[in-house]
Amino acid sequence: MEYLTVRFPETRDVLVDGLVQGKTNLVLELEAGVHDVSLGPPRNFSPLEQKVLLQSTSPLDPSRVDFHRLPPSAIPISPGSRP
Amino acid sequence: MKARARLLTLLIAGAVLAGCAHYPVNAPLAHYTPDAGYRFPTMVADRPDPADELFVCVSLSGGGTRAAALAYGALLKLRDTNIGREGAAKSLLDEVDCVAGISGGAFTAAYYGLFGRATFDNFYREFLVRDIQGELALRAGNPANLARLASPYFSRIDLAAELYDETVFHGKTFAALAQRPRPFVTLHATSMADGGRFEFTQDQFDFLGSDLQPFPVARAVAASSAFPFLLSPVSLRSFPPPADFVVPRDVTNALASRDDNLARYNWARQRMDTVSTGEKWVHLLDGGLSDNIGLRSILTAMDRTSGFIRQRINAGRIKRLVVIAVNARTDPPEQLSQQERSPGLVDVALKTATVSMEGLSFDTLDFAATRQNEREQAQTNIRVCNQRLGQCGAQPFPAFAQEVRACFVELDFEALPSPDREWFLGLPTTFALPESTVKRLIDVAGTLLDGSRDFQKLLRALRGEPALGAGVGEAGNCS
Repeated sequence: MEYLTVRFPETRDVLVDGLVQGKTNLVLELEAGVHDVSLGPPRNFSPLEQKVLLQSTSPLDPSRVDFHRLPPSAIPISPGSRP
Repeated sequence: MKARARLLTLLIAGAVLAGCAHYPVNAPLAHYTPDAGYRFPTMVADRPDPADELFVCVSLSGGGTRAAALAYGALLKLRDTNIGREGAAKSLLDEVDCVAGISGGAFTAAYYGLFGRATFDNFYREFLVRDIQGELALRAGNPANLARLASPYFSRIDLAAELYDETVFHGKTFAALAQRPRPFVTLHATSMADGGRFEFTQDQFDFLGSDLQPFPVARAVAASSAFPFLLSPVSLRSFPPPADFVVPRDVTNALASRDDNLARYNWARQRMDTVSTGEKWVHLLDGGLSDNIGLRSILTAMDRTSGFIRQRINAGRIKRLVVIAVNARTDPPEQLSQQERSPGLVDVALKTATVSMEGLSFDTLDFAATRQNEREQAQTNIRVCNQRLGQCGAQPFPAFAQEVRACFVELDFEALPSPDREWFLGLPTTFALPESTVKRLIDVAGTLLDGSRDFQKLLRALRGEPALGAGVGEAGNCS
């Protein structure tokens, strides 16, 4: 198995290949290969999704993916949401 | 003149019957709904299910009535195993979350999935002590069925599925199986096209553009036990997927990274191979040809990001993961190596079908044990390192959401003392065993669990009892 840590300033659901797979800032155990990584709502983070190739990681040296929290002024307004 | 007319009428009626006979075609899927249908219950974020904490999966191997009876005996023993702490009553069987069944084991798995504890009142009489083979031969010899069997769209396996449907599964479909979400029962067959494992779940049927809900459970069990040469394959139609179908992301990612994970790529490719753009059929043989232990679907659920076990491990929902493999493997005395002449066509055909089953089974068991050890080692590494770092006030490494205690138990006749071992290992694979043999098989499952060091370690751990021998032999698996 391979290991991944998704870093974000707060605890948030991690989506891997579109499915909830645990929380940020913890070690996730996943299969080798390419995965799509994103976070659960609210969508106040950037980038919205990242592709990661997991290969030759270890539990003490997992692959790391960083998401940044956007300031309220930078959050894109989705259709249907109030300004 | 009258006799001739009667014969002619009979012949015409027979021809009409033969022409009309067709296996029941599976239903098309109207809409793609990834959270509905026959799937393991969706994990709800931030709403932990206490049923996940002790997660128990049982695999029931192939091997005709021998396997079905051993599987029944194992479930019976789990029912009678109390894991309540301080005298409280709590049956281990009630903690079982998933059951995977192959061939003979598929009968027990499906029956328990449909009827729950009523299995222990009826399954013995309705299946285990019946001469299924004899009944099937009688049905095949019936003149009406002879005419149906003349149709190119109706064969012996369809007759077998009808027999199982009427006399064992009582017309139940996967919609009935879905009404009891746990244990989630996975029945397996093998695709003739690529030798890949085929699971009777909506996740798999999505790729056929087909709705599993109205599909008879008996037909899935028949497919799982369609031993090559003796029974014909079960055929399913693959429909063009509904317009709203979206290929799951773990499948598209698997296909895009073949060189990084060949097993994941093959799993995805086998699913995509069944997708139809026009007219297509999938023909299914005995599940034992791709996995005679039944463990591979459990391992897939542990590996894939879409796997219900993997998601729950990463979310920290599972505290203890128990996998019990009930293996009715036999090892009859080898006859072929006692003869000088080259084996004939029948021997070669039977060996071709079974040799691959045996080889795959050993690989699967080894893989299952390795997978569990790997997790234990990873947890230990993080824990020990963080303890050391803590001693010098350094920042700890990120950890798993939850340490998982792993337990892998295998039941195999090899564990018995002589001469019982040789007697059980020499049993035939058939759907007609004497009642005395069935009774011995049911009893021996309990004997094997009582004698399993790992199972006894598990029970002590679950009951909160102290380890034996001051920890000697109590570390590692199942502790």
